Amino acid sequence: MNAIEQVFRSAGVTGRIHVTDIDSGSEVAIRADEPVVLASVFKLPLLLELYRQAERGVVDLSDPVRVPADGRAPGGTGLSAMSDEAAMSLRDIAYLMMAVSDNTAADVLLGRVGRDAVNTLLAELGLPGTQVVHDCRELFAGMLADAGVADTAALTQACADPTVVARLGALVPGRTNRGTPREMTRLLGMVWRDEAARPESCAAVRRLMGLQVWPHRLASGFPFDDVAVSGKTGTLPTIRSEIGVVEYPDGGRYAAAVFTRSLGTAQNQPRADAAIGSAARIAIDHLRAHT
Amino acid sequence: MSNIDIVLRLIAFCVSLLFMDLIRHLSQFLVLAEELHFGNAAARLGLAQPPLSQRIKRLEDELGVKLFERSSRRVTLTAAGRLLVPEAQDLVARAERLRHLVAGSDGEDGTAVRVGVPPDLGGTMLAALIAAYRARLPEVRLSPAEMGTAAQVAALVEGELDVGLVRHPVAAAGLGFGAILTQHPGVLLAESDELAAWATVHLADLAGRALVLSPREAEPGLYDETLACCRRSGFVPADVIAAGTAEFALGLVLSGTAVSFGPPAAPPGTVWRPLAGAPLAWRLSTAWRGKPAPHVEEFAAVALRVLREDAGLVDEGSVPALRVAPRPATGFLA
Repeated sequence: MNAIEQVFRSAGVTGRIHVTDIDSGSEVAIRADEPVVLASVFKLPLLLELYRQAERGVVDLSDPVRVPADGRAPGGTGLSAMSDEAAMSLRDIAYLMMAVSDNTAADVLLGRVGRDAVNTLLAELGLPGTQVVHDCRELFAGMLADAGVADTAALTQACADPTVVARLGALVPGRTNRGTPREMTRLLGMVWRDEAARPESCAAVRRLMGLQVWPHRLASGFPFDDVAVSGKTGTLPTIRSEIGVVEYPDGGRYAAAVFTRSLGTAQNQPRADAAIGSAARIAIDHLRAHT
Repeated sequence: MSNIDIVLRLIAFCVSLLFMDLIRHLSQFLVLAEELHFGNAAARLGLAQPPLSQRIKRLEDELGVKLFERSSRRVTLTAAGRLLVPEAQDLVARAERLRHLVAGSDGEDGTAVRVGVPPDLGGTMLAALIAAYRARLPEVRLSPAEMGTAAQVAALVEGELDVGLVRHPVAAAGLGFGAILTQHPGVLLAESDELAAWATVHLADLAGRALVLSPREAEPGLYDETLACCRRSGFVPADVIAAGTAEFALGLVLSGTAVSFGPPAAPPGTVWRPLAGAPLAWRLSTAWRGKPAPHVEEFAAVALRVLREDAGLVDEGSVPALRVAPRPATGFLA
């Protein structure tokens, strides 16, 4: 797929991509089995485990949870950005985690369901290359230590420096939450085919993925009113990714996992964001032409 | 003329002879202190090795201390020798200044100052520089050579150049620098480039375009710093094309093949736009080896004035750091 490589190159990124037709299984793959940094993409298996525990009665999704003002994971959205103590149900916290990638919401849920439970689920689903090794707070603590700075504000500034970015363990798949593009589309396929959990749980997960607010990555490749895009982004310095499902009006459903790393360290790189959508569009167009 | 006069003149003559002799010995001492090798020092001084050894020995006898430790394999400075170095440099420089001053007043000195000039300085700037120096020191001839920073540094170290105009950062031991002046380049675009519609262009706007820049061999510091800054700001050039001459760079810009950075000037067919936030800081200063000779100091002063007044370069303590304004959609773990 030279056209996809060309999209990555002209956006100043390197990319790994796997796109499948959810119903036929046909695929487009570029470096799809290489390990990648999940960043916030790990919030999807966490969400799935939450719903599976609710099915078994281990947790009650409508259970109100108190989230204290102190000790929250850093972040620019949701509870991470809010100032005061809050109380809301587990599923509303899950909504914040998926809709705006709220890091505090993710840590609250991971604390509730347990890291081992998420990894056990991933193993059961046949995704051995996908692992959750730390929560958002631990991930930030590691970045602060690697960058040699005291707080998130200083980290934001320090990460403009390529030599600092080169030191971050959080950008090395073996040292952080990880997966592969192929395993991510397999996970999405199971959610969309109601195989990852009970149908009502899978439907709830699909609904939350459809409520994600970000328009700039996967969705940017499909600016059409009659095409549905559901996804979960992943972002860290030089890392921009999204996994999601694109549903065409004729019923075609495609799972896409696109993971990129930019050569430049600027945070705002709309061309790199858009490359995720463009690459997925090219891959899906290819699958539609060859079925 | 009385006898006393004659005696006094004779004494003065002897003192001056002694003085000149001392200066010569000290100069030779300094060369050996730099080389720490009798053979190399003698070669640099155009002497055979034995006379140099004898003179150093004489200087040591005169001062009553050992200046060098000599072993079969190496020569090192003693503590006394190290103490003497700055003092000797001072005395030699003063003697040199004295000679220049007297020679200058005669108006018949053929002194030339060899000066290195960067290829992208521009014709007008070079003319202004030469005119200003001529007005200040009409008796000294400027001998300019077009050279990049790397070549200038090599020539200065070798003593083939008296003074240079170099781009920073520069890594070279033994060079002295004048005050550093800063220039914030803008971008030169083809008139047909869609960015020409903007009054100000951001570095990140240039994403996807090729960049034409001085060759890395010629301007290593400027090249690396410029590309690093572009990378931080979100501009990773699709291609970096090395241009040794302004005409070649202009051709690439005119044809829309690449963009270039430079001072505000737009030849026909191009437009120049300032970069938002002035992210690039190109720094320039005079440079020389060791202690600057009086003519070099004069040149440095003239260059500083001309670059400030005619080229609009400014004094600036340090390169301004990029300030990242975080946004939720692009922040950590979004």
